[in-house]
Amino acid sequence: MTAEARDPAPTPAGRANAASESGAGLAAQIAADLIAHRSGDTHAMGLLVRRVTPLLWHVARGFRLDAASAEDVAQNTLLAFVRHSDEIIEPHAALRWLIVTARREAMRAVTQRDRTELVDDAARTVPAPETDEPEPVALATAAQRVLWRNVGRLSERCRQLLRVIAFAERPDYATLSTALGMPVGSIGPTRGRCLAKLRMLLASDPEWGAS
Amino acid sequence: MTDNDARSREDQLAAQLFDQTDAELLAELARIYEQIDPVPEGLVERIGFTLTLADLEIELARLINETREPIGARGEERARTVTFSSESLTTMVTITPQDIGQFRIDGWLAPGAALAVELRTDRGSLRTTADLDGRFEFIEVRGGLVQLVIHPTAGSDLQLASPVVTPAMEL
Repeated sequence: MTAEARDPAPTPAGRANAASESGAGLAAQIAADLIAHRSGDTHAMGLLVRRVTPLLWHVARGFRLDAASAEDVAQNTLLAFVRHSDEIIEPHAALRWLIVTARREAMRAVTQRDRTELVDDAARTVPAPETDEPEPVALATAAQRVLWRNVGRLSERCRQLLRVIAFAERPDYATLSTALGMPVGSIGPTRGRCLAKLRMLLASDPEWGAS
Repeated sequence: MTDNDARSREDQLAAQLFDQTDAELLAELARIYEQIDPVPEGLVERIGFTLTLADLEIELARLINETREPIGARGEERARTVTFSSESLTTMVTITPQDIGQFRIDGWLAPGAALAVELRTDRGSLRTTADLDGRFEFIEVRGGLVQLVIHPTAGSDLQLASPVVTPAMEL
């Protein structure tokens, strides 16, 4: 049963946007969309999809999935979310649920792809996976090129983590690090190891800050 | 700096509070990813289209292959052949441009079975039934977002547990 079926009363216009207007982080925006959806706002789920799709795309691409598989991950994640959104008791947990589900879907797609390649290498119909991060040919500024080069020196796990955090705006560290399986300390939103590594790499790169 | 110094410096940095510089680095990183690996155009709309299905208890098919072949004397129009796969079915469709803004869709289900096939479009649904070999067609389909739904069908040789749905695609 959907939330609308239980409570068809519409909400006052604009309520779904309240969180984004106040500049809250993605977790709070998604929570507001979910609450609006549950109270019968028929546009709220569309807003949520628009807000979170870029993040889901980057979660999937962080696993080096080809474009069609990454689209599937985003679609399947949101389909599962709509089906199961009634089960998410705390709306602020919705973003975490979405990231965890997208990562699980992406890992499943990676497993399927690898199995297909092993069994069916000669007559493979699955597009070849990307062998590495996309080439940084299109970068606009020197600073971006230096940053990208140093991001490339991080572990794949750190690259995945920073890529997801970068798309979650004003990161809610507690939400994100739990979703990514990297718990933060109890003292609050610390920088974390991956950003610390990146900052050390940049500090020792003579070209950083020179441009 | 020795390895130990570097490690303790890293520990120290990692334990500090997230600051403005971190926020700027992440914002720049997001701009880089937007440049080198942008979200595909229309993805939000395609996902939104699937989510407007009345019944979401479905089996999602995945796009596993897509090819384009030139047709006609000058070869400027292209027929697309797209293959989708799910647990129960493989669905192959060839999409051929007809008159301006219109398309013909020739489809084939494997295993072949006389299943009810729905073509969802943004102007409503077209319906047909595949023949015993699993072949079906839709003609004079107008351009826009479309999506195939293969429905469980009484009396068919293949009993589907739930509708099989392809990702939405732009004609």
